[in-house]
Amino acid sequence: MTTLTTTITEVLRYRGKIGQWSWVLHRLAGLGTLLFLVIHVIDTSWVAFFPELYEEAIAIYQTPLFTIGEFALVACVVFHAFNGLRIAIFDYRPEWWRHQARAAQIVYLATFVVLVPVFALMAQHVVEFYTGRPLDLQLGLVFNRVVVPFGGHVVEFYTGRPLDLQLGLVFNRVVVPFGGGMILALLAGVLLSGLFGAVSGRAGLAGPLLTRRSRLEQVLWGFMRVSGMLILPLAFGHLAIMHVIQGVFSINQGGTGLAASFVAARWAYLGWRIYDAALLALALIHGFNGLRIVFNDYAHHPTVRRGLTWAAVVGCAALIIVGALALISGVPGM
Amino acid sequence: MKAHFRIRRFNPETNAKPYWQDFTLDNVAPADRVLELLHRIKWEQDGTLAFRRSCAHGVCGSDAMRINGRNMLACKVLVSSLAAEGAESVTIQVEPILGLPVIKDLIVDMEPFFAHYRAVMPYFVNNDPPPADGRERRQSPEERAIFDDSTKCILCAACTTSCPSFWANGSYVGPAAIVQAHRFIFDSRDQAAEQRLDILAAPDGVWRCRTIFNCTPACPREIEVTRAIGEVKLAIQMGAERMRARKMTRGGTE
Ligand code: HEM
Ligand code: HEM
Ligand code: SF4
Ligand code: FES
Repeated sequence: MTTLTTTITEVLRYRGKIGQWSWVLHRLAGLGTLLFLVIHVIDTSWVAFFPELYEEAIAIYQTPLFTIGEFALVACVVFHAFNGLRIAIFDYRPEWWRHQARAAQIVYLATFVVLVPVFALMAQHVVEFYTGRPLDLQLGLVFNRVVVPFGGHVVEFYTGRPLDLQLGLVFNRVVVPFGGGMILALLAGVLLSGLFGAVSGRAGLAGPLLTRRSRLEQVLWGFMRVSGMLILPLAFGHLAIMHVIQGVFSINQGGTGLAASFVAARWAYLGWRIYDAALLALALIHGFNGLRIVFNDYAHHPTVRRGLTWAAVVGCAALIIVGALALISGVPGM
Repeated sequence: MKAHFRIRRFNPETNAKPYWQDFTLDNVAPADRVLELLHRIKWEQDGTLAFRRSCAHGVCGSDAMRINGRNMLACKVLVSSLAAEGAESVTIQVEPILGLPVIKDLIVDMEPFFAHYRAVMPYFVNNDPPPADGRERRQSPEERAIFDDSTKCILCAACTTSCPSFWANGSYVGPAAIVQAHRFIFDSRDQAAEQRLDILAAPDGVWRCRTIFNCTPACPREIEVTRAIGEVKLAIQMGAERMRARKMTRGGTE
C-alpha cells in the first residue's frame, strides 16, 4: 500500500508531460473494463445455465445507475483502445518518439470525436426507453427489477426459508463465490502486500535485481500488443451492436420480451459464437495479464506476488471455461 | 528579483519525517542557476542544508533534484527558465529525487541505482586479441553513430527517478541502466550484447517500462531515453545483430 499511495500521490505531484496522464488513464480504463468484463462473462453465462437470472441481469443493466456506467464503460474501451494503439506503435517504432506527444493528443481527440456521436445515439435509446412512461412507473420498474430481486435474496438468506430455493442457491453458489470471492481475494492480496511493504519498509525503494531472461514475459509483452489490435475491432463491433445499433434496452424489447431470445437469435449463427469466443479469450487473457502487471508493480513480497499472480491465472481460466461452456451449450430450449 | 525557496528538508538524527522549509533570497538574477542559489542559502542562511554537487557544470551528474515538480540538474537550470518574463519574484520548490532512500535533505542513497547500473555489464567486452598493428579496433562512422546518443549519459538518475514504474517498483532496472546497456549493445566492437539482453529480458528488466515518456524530458543530456529503451526491447526480440542492422539502415529517421 505504501508504494501504491506513493505512486498515486507522486504522479499527481510530479509534473510529467501528457504521456504520464495517458498512462494513468490507460491503466484505470483497462482495470475498469476488466472489472466489467468479469461480471459480464458471469452474467452472460446465466443465459445458458439460469435463464431466469439472465432476465434479471439484463433488467439491472437497464437501471439508471448502470446506464451511467454504460457510458463510462464505452468511454473506457474507446480511450484504452486508441491509447493502446499509440503505445504499440511507439514500442515497435521507437525512432518515431518525437511524435508521441502529438500522438497522445490525437488519441484524446479521436476518443472525443468517436464518443460524441456514439453517446448521442446511446442517449437516444435511453430517451426512447423513458419517454412515454410516467415517473412512478419508471421508479416502479427500478423497484421491481432491482430492489425486489436483491431484497428477496437477502431475505431468503437470512430467513433460511427461500421464496425460490433455486434462485437463492444460484445466488449463493455463483455470484458470491465467483464475483465476490475474486474481488475479495484480490483486495486481500493488495492489502497484504501493503502491510508487508509497510513492515519491511523497503517498498518503493530500489531493490535487488533479478537477472534471468523470461521468455514468458517477452511473449506476454508481444501478446498485449497483438491481442490489443485484434480486440479493437471485436470490442468496437460488439459495443456498436449492443449500444448503438440496437441498444441495451432492446435486448429484451424494453422489458416486454425475453433477453434470452435475443441471445439465442444471435447464437443461432455459428459465426457470432466464434466471434464471442474470440473476444472472450482475447479480452480475458489481455485483461488479466494487465491485472498481473499492475499487481507486479505494487506487490513486492514474493509470497503475496505469487499469490496474486495465481489468483489472476485461476480467475482468467475459470472465466474462460464458464464463458466457453455457455457458448457451447447455448440458450436452453431455444 | 526575489526568490522564494521551498525546500524539502530531512535530518535523520532529529526528524521523524521530511518537512518543507521556506527561504527568501534577494538580488537574484535571471541568469543565476538554482545550484548557485542553493549555495547562497547554505552559506548565508542555513549551513545545515545538505545537497550534492561537484562540477557545477552539468558534467558529473551529482545534483539531480526535483525542481518545481520535474527532475533536473540544479547546476543547469537558470532562474529565468522558472520565472515568468519580467517577474519581480520567483518561487522555486526543491526536493530530492524519488525512489531512492533519502539520506539527508536533498541527498539520496545512489547505491541501489548504481547496483542496477553494474548489473547490465556497463563495460566493453571483446575477447579477441587487439589488431596486429597495435592500433584501435576499427569501426565505421555509421557504426559509431547508432549508439552515439547513449554515450552521453552522466548517470545522474534524473530519468530513472522520474519513472512511475520505478516509483512503484524499485526492482525495475530503470531507464538509466538500460541507456548504459544500449551504449554497448549497439557497439559493433562489443561481444557481450546477448548476455546484456539476457539480463534486461528478466521480468524486472525492460518489460517494466510502460512507454510513459517521463524519462526523456527529464534527461539533462537530452538523450532519447525512451527510444533507447524501445530499441533494447526490440533487440531482445530480434537479436542484437539484426537490430543493429535495422538501426544502421533507418537509425536516425523518424
Ligand atoms: C454494457 C455493455 C455491454 C452489453 C450490454 C453487452 C451485451 C452482451 C450480450 C447480450 C452478450 C450475449 C451474447 C451475444 O449476444 O453475443 C454478450 C456477450 C459477450 N460480451 Fe458483451 N456487452 C457489453 C460490453 C462488453 C465489453 C466491453 C466486452 C469486452 C471487453 C464484452 C465482451 C463479451 C464477451 C466476451 C461475450 C461472450 C460471453 C460468453 O461467452 O459467455 N461485452 N455481451
Ligand atoms: C480494445 C482494444 C485494446 C487495445 C488496443 C489494448 C491495448 C493495450 C496495450 C498495448 C496494453 C499494454 C500497456 C503496457 O504494457 O504498457 C494494454 C494494457 C492493459 N489492458 Fe488493454 N487493450 C485493449 C482492450 C482491453 C480490454 C477489453 C481490457 C479489459 C478486459 C484491457 C485491459 C488492460 C489492462 C488491465 C492493461 C494493463 C494496464 C497497465 O499495465 O497499466 N484492455 N492494453
Ligand atoms: S540517461 Fe540522462 S537522465 Fe538518465 S542518468 Fe543518463 S544523463 Fe541522467
Ligand atoms: S554539479 Fe556536476 S552535473 Fe551538476
